Amino acid sequence: MPPHVHPEGTTLRDPSKLFFQLDFNRRLIIASYWVVIIAAIPLWWHFTSIERLSLPTSRVHSQAANQLRFPVQIQLENIQDASLPASLQQLMDDRIQRSPQAWKGLDVRVRNQNGANKPGDLYTVTANDNIPFASQRDLTYPIRAGTLSMLADALSILLVPPTDTHRVAQYSPRYRLAFTLLNEDAAAGKSISGWDISDAISRHMSPILNDLSVLHNFTIESQVQFHAPLAFSPLSVADGYGITPEDLTVFVNSAEWSLSSSVSNDPVLHFVVFIPSASRRPLQILDSRGSPSPSSAFLLPQWGGIIIYNPPPEQESHAPLPQSALNSVFSTFATQLLALLGVPNLPPDVQTDAPVLTGWQLDALLRRRALENAKGAQDTLKSIVKLVDQIENMPVGQDVKGDVQDSLTALDQMYASSSTSLNSTLHQSANALTLASRAFFNPGMLALLYFPAEHKYAVYTPLFASAMIPMIATAVREIKAWRKQRREAAAAQ
Amino acid sequence: MRKSRFLWALCLPAACLSQSFSGETFNEELAIRALPDGKVASRFEFSTLLHGASPRNPRNLSSEDDSQHYTLFPLALGQILRQYAVTELHLTLNAGKWNYDRWGYPDEPDVATGASMWTWMAEGSPVPRHSVDARWRDLRNALAGLFCASLASLDEQRTTSPVLAFVPQGALPAWPQTEPHALRHASLPSEHVCTENLTPFLKLLPCKSRAGLARLLNPHRLLDADWHGMGLHVSWLPEEGVRVRLTFQSVTDPLRAGNTRDWSLSSLFDRKIEAACPVAASSRVVVALPTDESYSIRPEPSFVGQGRGIFDLAAQPLPLDVGLHWPTAFQYATLPTAQSPLSVRRTLHGSSQDHSTLAVSIKNAGPAAVRVAYLETLPWIVHLYLHTLELSVDGVPRADLLRDLSYTAPVPHGRAAALEAVLELPPNSTVSLRLGVGRAFLQYGEHPPDAQRGWELPAAVVVVLPEHPGNDSQRRVYTSALLVDPATPDFSMPYNVIIFSCSLVAFIFGSVFNGLTRRFIVVAAREPGLQAE
Repeated sequence: MPPHVHPEGTTLRDPSKLFFQLDFNRRLIIASYWVVIIAAIPLWWHFTSIERLSLPTSRVHSQAANQLRFPVQIQLENIQDASLPASLQQLMDDRIQRSPQAWKGLDVRVRNQNGANKPGDLYTVTANDNIPFASQRDLTYPIRAGTLSMLADALSILLVPPTDTHRVAQYSPRYRLAFTLLNEDAAAGKSISGWDISDAISRHMSPILNDLSVLHNFTIESQVQFHAPLAFSPLSVADGYGITPEDLTVFVNSAEWSLSSSVSNDPVLHFVVFIPSASRRPLQILDSRGSPSPSSAFLLPQWGGIIIYNPPPEQESHAPLPQSALNSVFSTFATQLLALLGVPNLPPDVQTDAPVLTGWQLDALLRRRALENAKGAQDTLKSIVKLVDQIENMPVGQDVKGDVQDSLTALDQMYASSSTSLNSTLHQSANALTLASRAFFNPGMLALLYFPAEHKYAVYTPLFASAMIPMIATAVREIKAWRKQRREAAAAQ
Repeated sequence: MRKSRFLWALCLPAACLSQSFSGETFNEELAIRALPDGKVASRFEFSTLLHGASPRNPRNLSSEDDSQHYTLFPLALGQILRQYAVTELHLTLNAGKWNYDRWGYPDEPDVATGASMWTWMAEGSPVPRHSVDARWRDLRNALAGLFCASLASLDEQRTTSPVLAFVPQGALPAWPQTEPHALRHASLPSEHVCTENLTPFLKLLPCKSRAGLARLLNPHRLLDADWHGMGLHVSWLPEEGVRVRLTFQSVTDPLRAGNTRDWSLSSLFDRKIEAACPVAASSRVVVALPTDESYSIRPEPSFVGQGRGIFDLAAQPLPLDVGLHWPTAFQYATLPTAQSPLSVRRTLHGSSQDHSTLAVSIKNAGPAAVRVAYLETLPWIVHLYLHTLELSVDGVPRADLLRDLSYTAPVPHGRAAALEAVLELPPNSTVSLRLGVGRAFLQYGEHPPDAQRGWELPAAVVVVLPEHPGNDSQRRVYTSALLVDPATPDFSMPYNVIIFSCSLVAFIFGSVFNGLTRRFIVVAAREPGLQAE
């Protein structure tokens, strides 16, 4: 199409000479639209993008490769033969090589008696011809060349005791201990109306709780219930009623027994005395062959302990729990509590005079809990990093980033203190785990997960499509016209 | 035989001892009375007293609390009370409207429709999460979890602190260096009591619903009643201890089933009392006996006096099925006689979506002038125009009847409004109060589910003020809830709205852009006439 020529002989002015119709001005207007749009893109990007702060990924990975190490020094005292330490070291090294997984994190060194200073990681074994005896961090043992292998076995059990990890409750700085006296049906008569629990707790539980106070704090609560039906009917056996091992797994009737409320998030360990209804006594636990087992107590892993108490037939109609029964119930509860918290046993041949725990046991527990917590914190941190990498819509706010950083700092401090103080190592490891879990479960990370990009396009398209099409069309037309003008200008020269 | 009786005599004091050694007592009572219109009102009261206990001082919230050992007191509730240092707590969940004109005053005064809650708590330590408001929020959430009710919706937008209407029922401890106690009150009229609220309620009782009077709490019958409501009341009595009262009231209509007003426990609740709760210190059924008619009651009450027949579960043969029989047929009264001297009616007038009039008429049928406090708590979506307040008696303006007025203005999207007026009601007259009301325009996200239904305004409360201060017995009269419907958008087509408005914006943009960039040219018109020239 030839360029438009202003017709001659008209009184109208040529519009292309007008100021606002100048080619330059029109192109300026179009360009300014584009400039505004392009300048607005960063702003739009900022306001519509999800806040994703960068996590210290490399620090997390390097931290995860770290391994907590506890130095353990064993000093032999009062020994005749100077070669014994070296042979004991050899025996210990053999055991460590045989099961490296159990000894993970421990550097065991046996040294001679000449070390005068006693650092915190020092354990003493004194030669003595009496029976093996443990107290605090000392062990007296008949050390001879022939008993050295037995000593190494005893030390293995003292330092890395075997535990049932499925039974032990997960570590928490604070537990709630909920003691419950359950009457299956008080209205059926001969029920237990109450118990003198404060006294029983102060006698049987307080010593344990005091010894364990370096690991956990405890909140104690108790209640009595007068109607707590079972979810199944016990089997009728020759002399009374029995619970089969299969029924034990469904013994706790959570729907009917309101065992504890949810006023705090601390994990709860339940201790239940179950009084069968007067019409179902005696109630016994049956073994797999169907004969009554001598024990009336059982442990639910990570949940708590249950004792079935059958009141004697000559009991009054409605009486509190007798003192003798209370004592036996609470000593069983104490054993169950130690099992649930993973407190290790002493080797079978070693005696002790410690009221509850020796230093050997406590240290072994502290080391294991610290190792568990450190591994848990490292795994959680790795999971956070992986999750954030995988899900691109996931927001990462300042609180998540801060928790991850604090958790890493706590891990650093834990490594720093691992050779000096067990207590502060455990404290830092628990702190690291708590912070890492808090970051992992931060509710802010779920905020925009379910707002897909398609929705945004559905909202933007009606506006942008209809506005952008004329702009693009005009821009293309002007660029064409401009190139043509240049070509013509070049041809005219 | 003789030996066993001797043993029994020995057991009795032991049983009594065993009930008091733990320092907790549990009493239960069921009161049943026939109402003038042939219906039957029953009230269960389960009261547990923790002897010698006192509420927790909120200043000690940061330090470790004592271990909690309970025998009869519900542990789940005790933990909540200690955790949030609650001195006094009242929670009611009611369904229906209590008809004061026909039924008189209820045995339990809190009969507001829906969920209603008020507490007295002391200001805590300077830690923000121990402040009264933070604890009030956490307490609501904890109780919402305990009772499976949407108490968490009783948020800041519904919370008020009126001065006159809710005086503490127990005592408030005066702790040194602690701020005085503060009241928090909120109500949610749209909440309904249902089985899922009743089940946790029953779990708080020592014998649950398996023995004693609680055996009669049969959800199928109770939730079918004309009116029913449950309540939880915690108060501190300095000489005795902390008392928890769990109450359940219901109004049943025997005339609906048959043409007789005879009732029995099995006809009201479809159950009998089969076993006594062994830990209850007292367990009684109290029946109000008719005064001016012949009747027969079976079985024979353990004790009759003051127009009441009392059945003591310990002395009655079980199962117990109390029943009252009238030989004469029931005559419906043509004109219901007012059973309470005060009668309150509240309505909302006006058809526009932004303005209406709140009209309240309070009738005093008594022969003496009464001074009352009128309390209106409104969500912020409605606001009152105080200058339009009019008081009149039989059409004659009587501004002098207003003795006192306090008003907490609403904060949009934040705080509820509270109007508390002290009125003097002349004898045998009806005072009418009119107030202009404005309605807010709500944001898209602020509408409740089922927005077209409107918002329910909580019941207004009329409290008879005692003539001598210090007399703590308060009579509260609740009005019915009101529905207000604010302007609601069409929620069904948000995408259409987006497309419409985007099209409009695109059209305007296109026009402007076109006008700015259009190229104008002059075209020679080749018309025949011009060509000839």
